[in-house]
Amino acid sequence: MIITLSVYLSLLIFLVAIVARGVRIVNTPIHLRWELYPVPHEKGRSQYGGSRMEEVDWWTKPAKKDSINELVVMLKEILLLKGVWEHNRPLWFGSWTLHFSLYLLIGLMGLQVLSAILLLSGFSFYAEIPELYRLLLKYIAATGFTMGTVGAVIMLKHRMFDKKLRMYNTKSHFFNIIHLGAIYVSGIFWMIADGGFVEQQAELFKGVLSFSQFPAVPTAGIVHVAIVMLFFVYLPFTHMTHFFTKYFIYHDIRWEDKPNIPGGKIEKRIVEAVTQPVSWSAPHIKADGKKTWADLVAMTGAEKEEEV
Amino acid sequence: MPCHCNTGRLEPSSIEDISKPSEQLAHVCLEDLPKLPPPYDDFNDLPPYKPLTESAREDYEATLDDTMTVGLPKAKSPEEEKEAVDKFLTGLQKLFSKEDNWTFLQPLMLSMEHCAKCQSCVDDCPVYESSGYNEIYRPTYRSEVLRRLYFKYIKPGNKWYKKFQQGDIELNYTLLVRLCELSYRCTLCRRCAQSCPVGVDNGLISREIRKIFSQELGWTQKDLHERGTLQQMTVGSSTGMNTLVVKDNIDFIDEDMTDRTGIEVKTPWDVEGADVLLIENAGEFLAWPENHGCIGLLLDAAGISWTMSSDIVGYDGVNYGLFYDDMQLARVATRHFEIAKKLKVKKIVMGECGHESKALAPISDRIGLDLTPRESIYTLMRDIVFSGKIKFDPTKNDFPVTLHDPCNLVRSMGIVEPQREILRYLTPKFREMTPHGVRNYCCGGGSGFAIQTPFNFNDWRNQISSRKKFEQILNAFKDEGHDPDQPKYVCAPCSNCKGAIRDLFDYYGAKAKSGYYYGGLSEIIVNAMVDAKEPILDWEMM
Ligand code: SF4
Ligand code: SF4
Repeated sequence: MIITLSVYLSLLIFLVAIVARGVRIVNTPIHLRWELYPVPHEKGRSQYGGSRMEEVDWWTKPAKKDSINELVVMLKEILLLKGVWEHNRPLWFGSWTLHFSLYLLIGLMGLQVLSAILLLSGFSFYAEIPELYRLLLKYIAATGFTMGTVGAVIMLKHRMFDKKLRMYNTKSHFFNIIHLGAIYVSGIFWMIADGGFVEQQAELFKGVLSFSQFPAVPTAGIVHVAIVMLFFVYLPFTHMTHFFTKYFIYHDIRWEDKPNIPGGKIEKRIVEAVTQPVSWSAPHIKADGKKTWADLVAMTGAEKEEEV
Repeated sequence: MPCHCNTGRLEPSSIEDISKPSEQLAHVCLEDLPKLPPPYDDFNDLPPYKPLTESAREDYEATLDDTMTVGLPKAKSPEEEKEAVDKFLTGLQKLFSKEDNWTFLQPLMLSMEHCAKCQSCVDDCPVYESSGYNEIYRPTYRSEVLRRLYFKYIKPGNKWYKKFQQGDIELNYTLLVRLCELSYRCTLCRRCAQSCPVGVDNGLISREIRKIFSQELGWTQKDLHERGTLQQMTVGSSTGMNTLVVKDNIDFIDEDMTDRTGIEVKTPWDVEGADVLLIENAGEFLAWPENHGCIGLLLDAAGISWTMSSDIVGYDGVNYGLFYDDMQLARVATRHFEIAKKLKVKKIVMGECGHESKALAPISDRIGLDLTPRESIYTLMRDIVFSGKIKFDPTKNDFPVTLHDPCNLVRSMGIVEPQREILRYLTPKFREMTPHGVRNYCCGGGSGFAIQTPFNFNDWRNQISSRKKFEQILNAFKDEGHDPDQPKYVCAPCSNCKGAIRDLFDYYGAKAKSGYYYGGLSEIIVNAMVDAKEPILDWEMM
């Protein structure tokens, strides 16, 4: 039961910390616009990085959005790490294998949730769940664990020997790679230790979904689960949260492209921001902790003390 | 190869080195710089890099590299140093507070907390590459310093865990003065940000560092602040021109343009209800007067109802606040908007100036309410050229032309094609630089570097931050040879970029050696006008 409770606890910590981080980002005030082109939703223009500001009287014309292209750009980045491919080719293979193996394992988890639902609905793992499906799960797991191990080894090598990275490494970089590597290696051991890996993992998910006893799995399986759960607890407190904060960086900043229209939502948020008191203390700011941003903007910054 | 200056290459070997007192943290040897294409490939033939004088080193905090642009006077006592460090810490807190930094808190926080330290961004930085990859100019170096300070002093959490995640750094006065100068070794071109897979923006981080120094400690670059925004807000323009002087100058420009083209040009002032309020970088009126003359001529020829404003700030689109200080940015932009409202114009058209366009169009879109719409002169010019109202003869522009893309207009605004459409039509020998458009390289004068000349900063700019641009220009014209009597034109439709390219060509003697000239977009258009009596591009005078 301790194992089952630890699983819940780690998932809870993960969820709460991720939501808290998301809320913190969403609750920041409106910021000044800071787009960076190309913006992929600019229909007919994103190929060369153009924007609707290329048109005379652009504000009188409806914005033409290309959501499909935006999705394609996102998928290329997420699935193929296009940015690293284009700008840091030597790092690409290690980074891609490490990332892609994670996607495979997340996919595997998703499918195992489905397996667990089927088991809970009374299906029998061997008699009623098609073999093809079971094989698929097995191959996803084997590929994911192998790719991940290879990726971890390559990335470790880069972090240790690549002169370009060396000065910027911190202890956490090595820890993160070793931690991920341990997930993959323990997964391989679990698969080797017992031919019933897929079924055991499905049973494990069933246990989690039904709040029941942790099923019998080999020691390698317990070690694997423990390392995965530690990763869930650790991840929200690292830079690796970029897996979801990237959404904000791209959609709320680089590709934001939302003009301030009279009477709109943005206007309301601007009013909130400019009516806050400002406390910067350089002489030209003229702040006294009471004057708001709007008050200070009305000044020149060159007023003498007695004029303030 | 021995260093001609006998110092040898110097660079930090760790992030923490920035806090360790030493005579100088980094030194670039000319021999380490990437070679320029011929005939500029022998550094022995090129202008020497003037070292900082002994007296500058004695009086100022010159411990970063070979130059200075902020030029901080040496602290008089340890108490003064301590006070500065304390203030910096308070400023750092404010930088991450909702009230004091609502303008950029979200982008900054996201850039601070999610860098994977993969270094995918670094090779795309023209400053880093052109310095021979000196560590001090790596886009992530200064960001990493701020990041470590943020995690150590601002972000809540266990100090050992934060150290484990982000590493450590010692905040002291040595770090402070170096970081302040270092924030002015980045042109804020944002090319590195395009390359970051996570979306971290090292250009933004450089700007935010400048903000702490300006907004909390009052440490500013004088050309941007005292002679820049403060002078503009009080006298009317960062050039120092007041209303009378500017009107006088514009009168003269109009007369000269009328004489040269045979087409009447008269700039209208303070016309209420005009369709267009034209706001240009006032530096044009002094350094490149024909640019304003050509714009005025084209607006008239297209039958556009337009005006300029003689109000303080109204005739100068410069907004150096964009480069270092949000309050100054907002103050200048707010004046522009107030004047547009007062004149009841339909739109503001921003002249050939990248930073003005970016400051006034996207960035200032959120500094006020019910703002007059803004448009780039490029788009309006494209419509004028293709409107059929003016007759052109492109053979009048029968010389090699290439186009420089101002970062602020392409990378930060996505205005890429209008200027090209014009050049493809009006200049038969047009060719692109490689790379171009949104992946362009900065002219090296970005973030106000073009107007900064203290100490030997000019040398640093021409040798390092503008080097990549020079290489691009040389490559664009490589099939044309270097005959000085065969003019080759770099169209640089931005006042700041023109300033940098002017200095670059002067520095390397590119006009005399290779026949390189530079200028704006409007001049090229007027030069091709059938009705213009004389060519506007007068190589003898340029
Ligand atoms: S800024 Fe981006 S590209 Fe550069 S090191 Fe950080 S994550 Fe990598
Ligand atoms: S913004 Fe430009 S100059 Fe600054 S670090 Fe990035 S690429 Fe280099």
